[in-house]
Amino acid sequence: MLKYTIRRIVLVLPTLWAVVTVVFFLIRIVPGGPAVAALGSYATEESIKELEKKMGLDRPILVQYGSFLKDLCRGELGKSLITNKPLSAEIAKALPYTLDLTFGGMLIGIVLGIPIGILTAVKRNRLPDYVGRILSLVGISMPEFYLGILLMFIFSIKLGIFPVLGGGNFNVLSSRLYHLALPALTLGLIMTAFISRMVRSSMLNVLREDYVRTARAKGLHERVVIYKHALRNALIPTVTVIGIYMSILMGGSVLTEIIFSRPGLGKMMVFAVKDRDYIALQSVIIVFSSFVFLFNLLTDLLYGIIDPRIEYR
Amino acid sequence: MKISRYWLFLLVGVILVGIVLMSPVLAQEKMVRMALKASDIRSLDPHFGTTTIDYACIDPMFNGLVRFKPGDIDPDKIQPDLAERWERSKDGLVWTFYLRKGVKFHKGYGELTAEDVKFSLEKAANKATSGFAADYSALDKVEVIDKYTVRLTFKSAIPSVLGILTNYHGGYIVSKKAVEERGDKFKFDPIGTGPFMLSEYVPKEKVAEVRNPDYFRGKAKLDRIEFWFMPDASSREMAFRNNEIDIVEGEREQAWVNKMRQVPGTTMEIFGPGELLVLFFNTTKKPLDDIRVRKAMSYAINVKELMTFLGPDVTEKLVSPIPMDYLGGTDKVPHYEFNPTKTKQLLAEAGYPKGFDLPMVMTEMSDYRRPMEQIQEQLRRVGINLKMDVITHSAYHEQIRKDVDPLVLYVCARFPVADSLLTQFYYSKSIVGTPTAITNFSHYNKIDDLIEKARVETDPNKQKALWAEAQVKIMEDAVAVPLCITKFVFAKKNYVDLGYDLKSTLTLSPNINETTDIRKK
Repeated sequence: MLKYTIRRIVLVLPTLWAVVTVVFFLIRIVPGGPAVAALGSYATEESIKELEKKMGLDRPILVQYGSFLKDLCRGELGKSLITNKPLSAEIAKALPYTLDLTFGGMLIGIVLGIPIGILTAVKRNRLPDYVGRILSLVGISMPEFYLGILLMFIFSIKLGIFPVLGGGNFNVLSSRLYHLALPALTLGLIMTAFISRMVRSSMLNVLREDYVRTARAKGLHERVVIYKHALRNALIPTVTVIGIYMSILMGGSVLTEIIFSRPGLGKMMVFAVKDRDYIALQSVIIVFSSFVFLFNLLTDLLYGIIDPRIEYR
Repeated sequence: MKISRYWLFLLVGVILVGIVLMSPVLAQEKMVRMALKASDIRSLDPHFGTTTIDYACIDPMFNGLVRFKPGDIDPDKIQPDLAERWERSKDGLVWTFYLRKGVKFHKGYGELTAEDVKFSLEKAANKATSGFAADYSALDKVEVIDKYTVRLTFKSAIPSVLGILTNYHGGYIVSKKAVEERGDKFKFDPIGTGPFMLSEYVPKEKVAEVRNPDYFRGKAKLDRIEFWFMPDASSREMAFRNNEIDIVEGEREQAWVNKMRQVPGTTMEIFGPGELLVLFFNTTKKPLDDIRVRKAMSYAINVKELMTFLGPDVTEKLVSPIPMDYLGGTDKVPHYEFNPTKTKQLLAEAGYPKGFDLPMVMTEMSDYRRPMEQIQEQLRRVGINLKMDVITHSAYHEQIRKDVDPLVLYVCARFPVADSLLTQFYYSKSIVGTPTAITNFSHYNKIDDLIEKARVETDPNKQKALWAEAQVKIMEDAVAVPLCITKFVFAKKNYVDLGYDLKSTLTLSPNINETTDIRKK
């Protein structure tokens, strides 16, 4: 397992390099540069050129690329082209909010999705199954920004329970959870739809297995059959999918952070694209990609723990 | 009864949520929260702030030697600010300012002296330390006469000396000690003399400012102000409806104004100077090099229809390149009243009886795109087909400066003196594609002498006459079509009392100052 883990970690480096290289060149092809974005309508030709020189954008593109890779190897994410502030500090401030949102959404998805999946599988072709499947279809189809605005309208505007604005005071747990509730619910409900469908499908397969029939024949209570015998095996493919969903959730945080005006990496990425802040965009993508890798690795390792048949070499 | 672990866990979770919901409400500070259409600030250094959010955050923290009367940008109503009085030489080239005594900088940075004023103005005039250095190109030297007296000497007369010393752009006075100590960090941790000082800046989220206890005009009535960055219109509106935001930047559309007027406890603030919408003809590109074609297009544009579409509450007529409420603005210029018959006649004379196609780039930003789509339709009716290529806003600003497009729609607000618009849009040195380019998209070069003469003219009436003559010439040559002015639109809760009547402001958002207060909710 250790050798496998180390090998996986080493293999991520060329993948990350490929991702960053593609982004580096792609964003520079698009017209509109950070100097114009920074100077706005007061931009004279002279001031644009001066700012581009200050930003190092007047150098040949390969020189810029080399310089970027060199800094990256030293662990430096660089400075924002717009604010000139070190990006590592900005990312360190934004990352916890995104992780909060991602884990919060996943927790809600698991807490609600697994029982719903079990219920729809056990009550197959009956009313709970039909209702569950329709709701999960709606959840999968609904874009998160629309769901976010809808939840905001109901729970904030009409009922006045939750705020619409900001991430709260991160150092105060109550404030942090209070501001997290609605955004996490937005992503969590969508995750619930995905997870419940996955669990339903797995449970239906598992409930047909011989050992389940045996367990019932032995006179075990139905709850024991489902939760002790069936669920553990049904969760194996679900765990795999949850790892992939974590990466999707991080991506889903982008629009959710904008709708709820929450700080976070997703918001940083969108604004970096808008402002043509190449360095910020590259840095955020590196961080995002690293977490995607981490989630995939953890999923693989967890898979091996849950299913003793799996052996990593 | 045995409770399954799963349900126990869920119960704990629900209890936790309940604890969160029962959390005590924050202590009641007197606070105003403003939400602006922005992703982040560029800089809190007043000599570099160029966006609406920058202006909004900067203004409460700084003063100038003089200031605009709160809520009114009429240059004739400029008032003393850090300077209590001033004298000017007969030729207008030497100005002496006498500073107020006992004005304190924020956070223990000491008393404001003439050294700080000299430092600030020299900083504002330096390209390396200011984005507005061009405004001070005529400034020769700044001398400290004594601790509270400073003398400015100009190389040549300029249209408005007080204008470049107001609480706007390079006119803001900063703490010399703080700039030297903080260096680059000053951009996000500035020190001024204003009624509020920086408390917190959360990137991509907000700027918070707290009351300056030592403000020379007396303590501000508010404890705190927060400026929230909220680019999404729905989120801004929801936060306003939910009473989490007290003042919100709106959409400059009649539909939004009408909708927000229905929200209980809301006052609409619609104010100037507004942004000028002007369509520029690139006179070096065929067929716009022919004055008959330019006049034909001017006659084809129905400005009344355009203003009805954009909204009667949010637009104002613009008959000349310089608005009437700018110093030097006049309405005694040739007009091109909507007349499609005349358009067709002129097009036929110019050799385009069936019209022609014209390419242009257009930004996705609605303030530009919506009016241009109307104009596109109006031109289509007379046979002129505009092929618009919609791109991002920053790409648009880059493209139009490359001198590629025959037509450029520009939306802007400038310091309310005719010279600022004439120099940037109609002066030959500002022609796009040249080293000294600003925004002369028309390549117009026929009023340089009028602009230069007006700049140094000391008699205000003669100066206005020169500016008026320049405007007449621009309209006679049909190098641009002044369309309309779109005002700034904000919604405000009734319990927020700005403390003054808001007619116009160069910060492009309602100024929060020491007189702003919260009435009982």
